Amino acid sequence: MAKQTSPLWLRPITTILTPRGESLWYFLAILSILSVLGQEITRCSGLGAAADFEGFGDEGEEEEPSDSPQISDLSFRSLVPPPPVTQSDFETHHGPPHTAKSPPSSPSSDPSPKAFDYWDEDEFEGLPITEPSETLQETSTPSSPADEPKPATPPPKGSSYTIEIVCISFLTCFGINYFTGKRENENIALAWAAKFATKDSIFEKNFSLLGTGDGTDTPLLLKEGPNVFKFYASGRRYCHGLLATMELQSRHDLISRIYNLIVPCKDEINFEVYMNDDAMDHVVLALAKKKAAKMMQKEVRDLQRFANLVSPPSNRKWVVEEFAVISESREVAGDLISETILDQVFGDKAFEKFGKGFNYMHFSDQHSGPYKKMLLFKFALPDAKHMADMTRLVALVPYYIDLIGRYKVSSQVRSKTEAARAKVAQEIYKEHLNARQEALQKRKADKKKMEEAEAKLSAEALRKKEAKEKARQMKKAMPKVKMTRGH
Amino acid sequence: MSHNNSSSASDPRQPSTAKPYVPSSVAPQDLPINYPGFIAMIFGVAGVLFKYKLCSWLAIIFCAQSLANMQNFENDLKQVSMAMMFAIMGLVSNYFGPPRPGTKS
Repeated sequence: MAKQTSPLWLRPITTILTPRGESLWYFLAILSILSVLGQEITRCSGLGAAADFEGFGDEGEEEEPSDSPQISDLSFRSLVPPPPVTQSDFETHHGPPHTAKSPPSSPSSDPSPKAFDYWDEDEFEGLPITEPSETLQETSTPSSPADEPKPATPPPKGSSYTIEIVCISFLTCFGINYFTGKRENENIALAWAAKFATKDSIFEKNFSLLGTGDGTDTPLLLKEGPNVFKFYASGRRYCHGLLATMELQSRHDLISRIYNLIVPCKDEINFEVYMNDDAMDHVVLALAKKKAAKMMQKEVRDLQRFANLVSPPSNRKWVVEEFAVISESREVAGDLISETILDQVFGDKAFEKFGKGFNYMHFSDQHSGPYKKMLLFKFALPDAKHMADMTRLVALVPYYIDLIGRYKVSSQVRSKTEAARAKVAQEIYKEHLNARQEALQKRKADKKKMEEAEAKLSAEALRKKEAKEKARQMKKAMPKVKMTRGH
Repeated sequence: MSHNNSSSASDPRQPSTAKPYVPSSVAPQDLPINYPGFIAMIFGVAGVLFKYKLCSWLAIIFCAQSLANMQNFENDLKQVSMAMMFAIMGLVSNYFGPPRPGTKS
């Protein structure tokens, strides 16, 4: 019953096929990379072929020159030694200094003539050619043992393929884990939906519209990723919608799974209830585990501005020690954390059995964000087989929607809360005013700059014009010199 | 507790006020940073420049992780495909190109 937002593989294809703007640059980059890749491959294959034969050329020193005609078939002029026939021609053509030395050293001096092929030998008559040939000979012999073990293709003797084996096996494990992890996450999400969102379940009894589509046969869950699932419900009094987001562990990702072995992570479900404007009075309240509560009071804006930690009252039952309450007013906190709730979930007895999965709840009519009046709940998700453990926690949601929908604060509390909100509203208004003034000033300064620049430009343009005019006048004033063609 | 409430009180459902789901739009700048893709790009470039086989393989692995976690196709696909190109180029130049000066057989 889970549904994806859009066809998975269609969208990237359409974005690839219709490049615009930025995408065009990316395509050009990819094309250039591919061309460089192609060049490298051809170059490397060429070098590889040549390297195979370089050893040949040096080993052929002691061998008969009959081997060289085979090599001469190749077209690599820079590396291939010319055959002895042309060698003799070369000698007879270019006079004595070569003939004396070249025949005995002709196979060994093979590297040298290749360099001189391109030089005009007549220019270098009388030069001691034997010296460079000897030095080249020396350099070629030490390089030959180094050249031999330099093949272009990978497997040198005695090497192990550990890196390749490890990486390929990791990739296959990754692929297998992707599918199994994805299915596991889907099972958890479907188990939750089957327990709380199908027929005769708590949400079906409370909301008229379930799921994200608008028909009667729409899937209940919206899958935003392999580990994020959303459930939407609407059509109830006091609120205009509820959005439940399940954030599961990244079981589909092997690296995250390994990371979660070290740093444990839990499956969580997050409820957001969007209250109607007339259904929520001045309530700012949060209930969370002690450490989390302290952090929330410092970091969450509306709690920071309006609320404080509430010490447990002495005259009545209260939440267990593990939890702390943050509220704008003690009275409101006392009213909303009723006896029933304490008996069911937060009290001493109930907490052990049912309250362990509770993370926090946060009610506020001054949320920062697009929706001001919201109820937020966060619970830990049990695994697929123990979804029933969460029933009481999920039941908190419609209970509080009704409770807060009907609740009106007393007059004393109202006066205090109204004063606090008025003050904050004024501060915000001042901030806006300042920001607007600054923006206005900036715009004025920018305008001035532009005008100055234009004035400069126009002054320069005027000067240029005047100069041109003068030049033209001068030309006109000069006597006209007639030119005639000479014959 | 709430079941009793809803059955003793009137049915809490109000079909007339039902609103269809509107997914919240997130601006491209606010999206969470795609760390695996970023790391894959770095390893890919390092593998090509320094001719390190291990770097290119790690780049491929992080590309795979980025693909697995991809939620926003348009923005992330470009980065992942770039990183993948670099990684593959690194692998090809490592296996079919001249070896690094300094690697012994």
